[in-house]
Amino acid sequence: MGIWGWVVAGAFAGTVAGLGRHLAILLGRAYRPERAGAMGSPAQGVLYAFTWGMMPWAKESTRLHLLAYLRGVVFHIGIGAAFLALLVSPWRAQMAPALRWGLVALTAVGGLAGFAGLVARIAEARLRRLSTPDDFFSVTLVSLFTLAAGAAWVVPPLLPVFYVLAVATLLYIPFGKIRHCFYFFFSRYFFGVGFGRRGVIGWGKAHE
Amino acid sequence: MSETVNAALAAFERVLDRRVLAALEVCARCGICADSCHVFASTGEFQDTPTARSEAVRRFYRRRHDPLGQIFPWWVRAKDATEEDLDALTEAAFATCTLCQRCAMNCPLGVDTALIMKAARAMLTAVGKAPEMLVQLADAAIVRGENPDLFREVYKEIVADLEQQAQERLGDPTVRIPMDKQGADILYVALSGAHTILPAAIIFHVAGADWTLSAFEASNYGVFLGNPEKAQAIAQRIVDEATRLGVKQIVLTECGHAYAAMRWEAPNWFGRDFPFRVRSIVEVLAEYVQQGRLPLDPSANPEPVTYHDSCNLGRKGGLLEEPRIVLRAVAQNFREMTPNRAEAYCCGGGGGLVAIPEWEEKRLRAGRKKAEQIRASGAPLVATSCENCFLQIRDLSAHYHLGVEVTGLMELVVNALLMARAKAKTAPQPVAVAA
Repeated sequence: MGIWGWVVAGAFAGTVAGLGRHLAILLGRAYRPERAGAMGSPAQGVLYAFTWGMMPWAKESTRLHLLAYLRGVVFHIGIGAAFLALLVSPWRAQMAPALRWGLVALTAVGGLAGFAGLVARIAEARLRRLSTPDDFFSVTLVSLFTLAAGAAWVVPPLLPVFYVLAVATLLYIPFGKIRHCFYFFFSRYFFGVGFGRRGVIGWGKAHE
Repeated sequence: MSETVNAALAAFERVLDRRVLAALEVCARCGICADSCHVFASTGEFQDTPTARSEAVRRFYRRRHDPLGQIFPWWVRAKDATEEDLDALTEAAFATCTLCQRCAMNCPLGVDTALIMKAARAMLTAVGKAPEMLVQLADAAIVRGENPDLFREVYKEIVADLEQQAQERLGDPTVRIPMDKQGADILYVALSGAHTILPAAIIFHVAGADWTLSAFEASNYGVFLGNPEKAQAIAQRIVDEATRLGVKQIVLTECGHAYAAMRWEAPNWFGRDFPFRVRSIVEVLAEYVQQGRLPLDPSANPEPVTYHDSCNLGRKGGLLEEPRIVLRAVAQNFREMTPNRAEAYCCGGGGGLVAIPEWEEKRLRAGRKKAEQIRASGAPLVATSCENCFLQIRDLSAHYHLGVEVTGLMELVVNALLMARAKAKTAPQPVAVAA
């Protein structure tokens, strides 16, 4: 493993430690599950929350703001691709061209979607008023990281830039709004359990 | 920091459990939830978005719990809470959020703003900033529970009068409204109003139910205060009565928050499971309809009727199909509002708001979306199974000149039942023909 490998691994360890602290804080708080007998299935609710319930047509808000939602989905797919690109970057020369170009395309589109979101955050008065400096910084940082992932594969001299952005992103995750990627799983789980056991969500229930 | 603010923050720490913490942490401020809130959809004002509302809590949460909020508060808009902030939060938590959870259903990340507002209500109640009317109503219910004998005899006289009215309406002198009946199947808990007792008495009589009327009313204003101790004290009266009588189930009248409180929340306050079931009268009605226990003639309700889903019964309670089973059986022309069921808009009167006179203007303004829905349905009759929704929609009809009548499901059932019985009496009897 080269020097960048060690630096990125160190930053990743920082992410894990930071999120570990968040996990400890979360688990340190009381959990108050509902005692009342269930009317529906909590398991089905959780399944719904992470699958069908995330589909663009499953919620009125995402149907109304379809483009904004899809922009967010594309951005997050791009972020995932960027992390995959980071993970496999030492072996990029051995990768099949189709896979390589696939990652480049996903990160490029994802990064642009991130910047489009940033523009919307600045341009839309309501979003701008809601946003904190951390929001602008986080979206910019992650969009740059995502774009750099693809760019570095096309232009190899940019690889150190990609690694620097990766390290910055990894280190910032536990501190800024990016940590919603961690809390998302808990929040959606609580949503699924709550509405699932009350018989409100599940397959085909929410929008009959 | 003042003593009040310190006490408020201490109270907040007590309710800051895993679910509240996740809801505070996960928001990405994408703003996609805004239109899902009936208040924002009606007013269009920034502070009425769910995110703006919950950010008011996040600011002081970040100041205490977020490392960046402690070192660089401006970076994450963290802020030490002040008394002025608490006053502003009182309005956000009690006047502009009805805890309907429509935004939670619509958030891609699952942020439950109602949960955050409930935590805010608990905090504000702890320092005496809750609306006075809600506190008085909760306290009055507790006093009644502590002195049941003061009210019992008067109540029995009222019930005897209602029993007579039920007999006259059904044309059956055997109709009874039993109280304190040991070992009854059902303990029916009404509200303080004849309209929640009379139709139930007729329905139970015709269905042949083994029931008894509770000496207490179903409403629980402790829930609106976010105060589990008061909420438990109010629920305790009914739980004690059900236990003393040894009933198999508590059936709550058409009241959304009473159902949500007793069915879903009370076992948590008591820290134990109850030896009886808790159901809404809506479930019982649907069951009677499906079992064919009530003769029903839908021609008794010929007008187009639409149904307003109470948030506490529907989205928060899971009773989405039961009212529709009833309505299809008792009305000739039932039509849905759009959207409906779990996506239904709050009427704007939930969360105790309908009981707070000083915020009437806000409440009516927040109901604009519901008023538009009702108007678009074209139905002159709106059925709902919640007393607060009933009052709010009646007010909305006057305020927005909708010209609609509001009714409960039980009343429609009784209409259909009386019509069916009347027709059965006047129908020609089969004549025996000699061979």
